[in-house]
Amino acid sequence: MVSLTINGRIVKAKDGEMLLAVLRREKIDVPAMCHHAAVEPFGACRLCVVEITRAEWKGWCDYVTSCLYPVSPGLIVNTHSDKVNELRRTILDLFLARHPDCPEIAELAGEYGVFKTTYETVVGGNNCILCGLCTRICDRMGFTAISTVGRGHGKEVAPPLRQAPPDCVGCLACAENCPTKFIEYKLRKKRVTIWEREFELLTCTKCGKTTITKDFAEYLSRHRAIDAGYFEICDECRRKNLAVSMGEIVNWERELLT
Amino acid sequence: MNHDLGRLPAIFKRYPKSPESLIAVLQDIQKEYQFLPSEALAETARVLEVPLSKVFSVSTFYNAFSLHPKGEKVIRICVGTTCHIRGAKQIQEQLESQLKIKAGETTPDLKFSIETVSCVGACAKAPVVIVNEKYHGPVKVSDYKKLVKGK
Repeated sequence: MVSLTINGRIVKAKDGEMLLAVLRREKIDVPAMCHHAAVEPFGACRLCVVEITRAEWKGWCDYVTSCLYPVSPGLIVNTHSDKVNELRRTILDLFLARHPDCPEIAELAGEYGVFKTTYETVVGGNNCILCGLCTRICDRMGFTAISTVGRGHGKEVAPPLRQAPPDCVGCLACAENCPTKFIEYKLRKKRVTIWEREFELLTCTKCGKTTITKDFAEYLSRHRAIDAGYFEICDECRRKNLAVSMGEIVNWERELLT
Repeated sequence: MNHDLGRLPAIFKRYPKSPESLIAVLQDIQKEYQFLPSEALAETARVLEVPLSKVFSVSTFYNAFSLHPKGEKVIRICVGTTCHIRGAKQIQEQLESQLKIKAGETTPDLKFSIETVSCVGACAKAPVVIVNEKYHGPVKVSDYKKLVKGK
């Protein structure tokens, strides 16, 4: 364990733990768009920038992305100094210029007092901030169905050959975790369409509500040792059913003991 | 589009079957076919056990790779600083208007492709034009016929 000072308060943390993780645990509100607990920190959005210094730095300080900065003893952190706020305003100003129609960015920028970009607005862009969270999550889950394509100005997130991705199972994790809700999917009665691929949804055998895609269930039972029958009922019905199954277990235990 | 994939196994044989070989394999395919056919990308993904999306990501990242067929003659015009000062722009315009394609495109008969490159390290010979592997310089606007017809 190490001690560091965050906004004047002494905080304990594991040595080498990433600073943003400590800030989140201490309930200190630092914005971040590309961060997700399931994947390695990436430092793409730059919004989690904080000011750091040490007693021996004699007044010098540094500005680092907290998601990628490991803590060490004696670190002094300021998450909302004037300079940090100014840096975040500049980043949000640039985001606003690139994505003028993105409500998520407008909201965050508004919190920092940026309501109109001071840069030239990009015409004909989209709401993808290219943080790569979707591709990293897809990778982490073991599908790697989508990836970044091209580079520089032409960079974008796309499936291979810009065609329906063969490795996608329709889990929708990319879309649900997109910080700007750029990845779209269409949910129809018993089908879902994402990345121009249509998937069949399984329905709960008890209540008829849709659960996950057939492809995802097949993947989980084949590669992740989860019984395919697990997905035949939805979570709600499973909870309802708990009384029955738990009762059976209790009975069974009693029989064993007597 | 169907391409002869028969030349692929020989390429795969040259490198260990691991993700580290990806760029080397793609370079060899590019050399063999003058571009990366989509079927070859799928085959590379299968053989090297790399996800197809990663193969596509790498092949679109590097300018050395092309996903579209290139012409028999690839004309690369250097537009680096020195060549720019010495008139690369005029040479590019001349070649573009003569071949009726823009830089980055290929003629419909698959005879010519025009590309621009940023400095090839031959500034003493600026402006430089590279036809396939042969370097020409200093090139004059009136040299376009020589560049297009010569071997």
